[in-house]
Amino acid sequence: MTTDLHSLMAPYALNALDSWERETFEAHLEQCDDCRAELAGFVATAARLGEAAKQAPPAELRDRLLAAAATTPQERPVVTALAQRRGLRRTLPRLAMAAAFLVGTVGVGGYVAERNQADNYRADSQTITSVLAAADAKTSIKTFGGGGKVQLISSASKNSAVIVASDLPTLKNSKVYQVWLVKDDSPTSQGTFASSGAMIMKGLVGVDHVAITVEPKGGSRQPTTAPISTIAV
Amino acid sequence: MTRNKDRGKENPVAPTASQSAVTHLRLADSPEAGGPLDLGDLLLLVARGDEQAFAAIYDALGASVYGLARRVVRDPSRAEEISQEVFIQVWKSAARFDPARGNAKSWILTLAHRRAVDAVRHDQAATNRENKYDWSNGPDFDEVEETVTISLEHEQVRRCLDGLTELQREAVNLAYYKGFTYAEVAESLGANTATVKTRMRDGIVRLRDCMGVGA
Ligand SMILES: [Zn+2]
Repeated sequence: MTTDLHSLMAPYALNALDSWERETFEAHLEQCDDCRAELAGFVATAARLGEAAKQAPPAELRDRLLAAAATTPQERPVVTALAQRRGLRRTLPRLAMAAAFLVGTVGVGGYVAERNQADNYRADSQTITSVLAAADAKTSIKTFGGGGKVQLISSASKNSAVIVASDLPTLKNSKVYQVWLVKDDSPTSQGTFASSGAMIMKGLVGVDHVAITVEPKGGSRQPTTAPISTIAV
Repeated sequence: MTRNKDRGKENPVAPTASQSAVTHLRLADSPEAGGPLDLGDLLLLVARGDEQAFAAIYDALGASVYGLARRVVRDPSRAEEISQEVFIQVWKSAARFDPARGNAKSWILTLAHRRAVDAVRHDQAATNRENKYDWSNGPDFDEVEETVTISLEHEQVRRCLDGLTELQREAVNLAYYKGFTYAEVAESLGANTATVKTRMRDGIVRLRDCMGVGA
């Protein structure tokens, strides 16, 4: 499955992306003026669909909520809001950051998770954002039967790709997943990960596909097992 | 699904219970005396801990949030749970609302829709773990049919949905009201994913223009 990231705009507004693609699109949104310009109108349209389903709630819900509000602490005003948040958006890798419009949907717990994920990607933020923002960025997603996904976002114009693995089954005996860039049947190791991870791959010219194999801890010089997955570039 | 024919005619915004709260706020707290308080203004007050403003927001959007949750998850008590979570989230996170990014109603309904869809997907995943063999089954035909003919209270939305092509309408309906991902929509309609994404886009653009939503 290969997709043009702009085309995820409508499914995003309808909340018809899985969480994985949602994150990818939100990262794209940070970089794409066209999509951002259209977002509010799409979201407001979806909200109208929501209002159309209006139905009287049980009367006691109101009392319960007001009672809950009276005893529930509120988040303090976010001083980094607006200006600072905008600055942050330009400088931080945003692969897993919340969308511009939906920044408010991230609760305290979500904010921490988001920060941690952002830290993981910080070192390579420039490349990641340039790949995600590229007009010719393509994404391919592989879902594994045993759980987890691998996503490849590639841009020919940037001659780079980002591969992100999430929640693959944990392997026995400390084995790891190893990622290879395969050119003329000759694999070059791109790194290893245990269950989730992201890595950047540069130099796509002549590359046929990305392969993932299961290898002993620390990885191998050459693949020692048949790939569990290959993704065309 | 409960259908109440009378409800379409009721005042959509201000049940009587909220009137006094709004009036009070307008007199006491509105920065521009006499200016009407919209939901965005109310959210700013909620961010400062104003419980009356919170009640006014609930009175304005409680039925929309609950009805939407109910439409998506079906189960009334689950819908109530979701509504409660949404409004508590509004209470806690009002300070994060950024009026520059969209209106307050869209923000709250987006929160509600996400929670409802996450809930059906979570429940569905649990069911799938119990019945592995039918994980790939789409909804049965009757169910798909129902989402298309389902009665909508809001006349304008119904009319605008009627103006879509069948594929656009089904794509929007299955995604928004049933919480399907576009890949699941494609599966259940026997269309490819690229087509479904295009139909969703065309459908939303058409709905937006039909409803006169500012872009
Ligand atoms: Zn875009």
